[in-house]
Amino acid sequence: MSTIWIIFMLVSITVLIFTNPWAATVAMIKGANDSVALALNLVALYGIWLGLFEVLEKTGIADKLAKLLRPLVRKLFPGESEEAEKFVSMNISANLLGLGNAATPMGIGAVESMKPNEKNPSKASTNMIMLTVISATSLQIFPSTVIGMRAAAGSANPADFLFPCIVATVLSTVFGIIGVKVWATISDKLSGKLVFGKKKKLELRESVK
Amino acid sequence: MTLYIVPLIFITVLLISLLKKKNAYSAFVKGAAGAIELMTSVLPYLLVVMVACEVFRVSGASGAVSEFLAPALEFVGIPRECTELLLLRPLSGAGSLSVLEHIYEVYGTDGIIGRCASVIYGSSETVFYVSAIYFSKSNIKNLRYAIPLALIASFLGNVIGCNICRLM
Repeated sequence: MSTIWIIFMLVSITVLIFTNPWAATVAMIKGANDSVALALNLVALYGIWLGLFEVLEKTGIADKLAKLLRPLVRKLFPGESEEAEKFVSMNISANLLGLGNAATPMGIGAVESMKPNEKNPSKASTNMIMLTVISATSLQIFPSTVIGMRAAAGSANPADFLFPCIVATVLSTVFGIIGVKVWATISDKLSGKLVFGKKKKLELRESVK
Repeated sequence: MTLYIVPLIFITVLLISLLKKKNAYSAFVKGAAGAIELMTSVLPYLLVVMVACEVFRVSGASGAVSEFLAPALEFVGIPRECTELLLLRPLSGAGSLSVLEHIYEVYGTDGIIGRCASVIYGSSETVFYVSAIYFSKSNIKNLRYAIPLALIASFLGNVIGCNICRLM
């Protein structure tokens, strides 16, 4: 993330210093302003969704939902606590319903309650990556924003793109899930070999002693 | 359809809380109280991503990169007019929405360009935003392969979606 950010900033500002130096400052302030405006909007939305989440929790609906999705969640996110499973199920349900803003607080909660990476706690665990990839490849089956915009722009058939759109959404998520699973298996095998190698070396040293 | 989702969720949940005699009001207040605290940890990440996105767009760097990538993308079936949308979509929801609007204005909604643009916007997410925000409350600094993988998976989805548009 940090490398990508530095590249974006450096390239853009370097271009601007030659073409339009004043615009660099203006653009940065505009970006920051937009983020604060968005933050104010989001605080309101988070308030609603976190409030609702607490009610879901209190009434036991959250547990029911988690139980319902457990087979799927356990398969995708093995070895997590019930608390984390609950957050994950809420996150996935909200994403499926197209409520991205409701999914965000649940996603943050899920990452927070997931088990840290065993080898290095400052790195994301495989389950955290799975959650990020599933959310970031979009699960939304019904893209209401786009349909609304197409209708407003005078489309003869605003829902005309739905079939390719759903195929793209579903496939991208499937690719993402497969990617995480494949990567985790490969890196496990590699690190397993490393650990095994180290053990052997240690054993050798012991025996030499 | 989506119109009814949120109201229906609220009606169902509130009715259940009544039936179970749980105090929905105090639970809601308790939950909502967490919103500001959540935002204080989210805002810095929001700001950092949006500042970078804005300079990237304003500097014309996004346009130049699009221009550069367009022939390759056209080869796999993504119209060159949609390149900048494809590039900005993972960065910013608002930024890419204005590009989408521009595409609708110039090329219309129902041609191949308009439909491909709809697929690109509708089928992907703001990858960078999601990745930054989800980890905002944890101490994790290294997301490993999460972002590249999400980007590649979304891109493959988009390529397939645009090609289906062409066949339709």
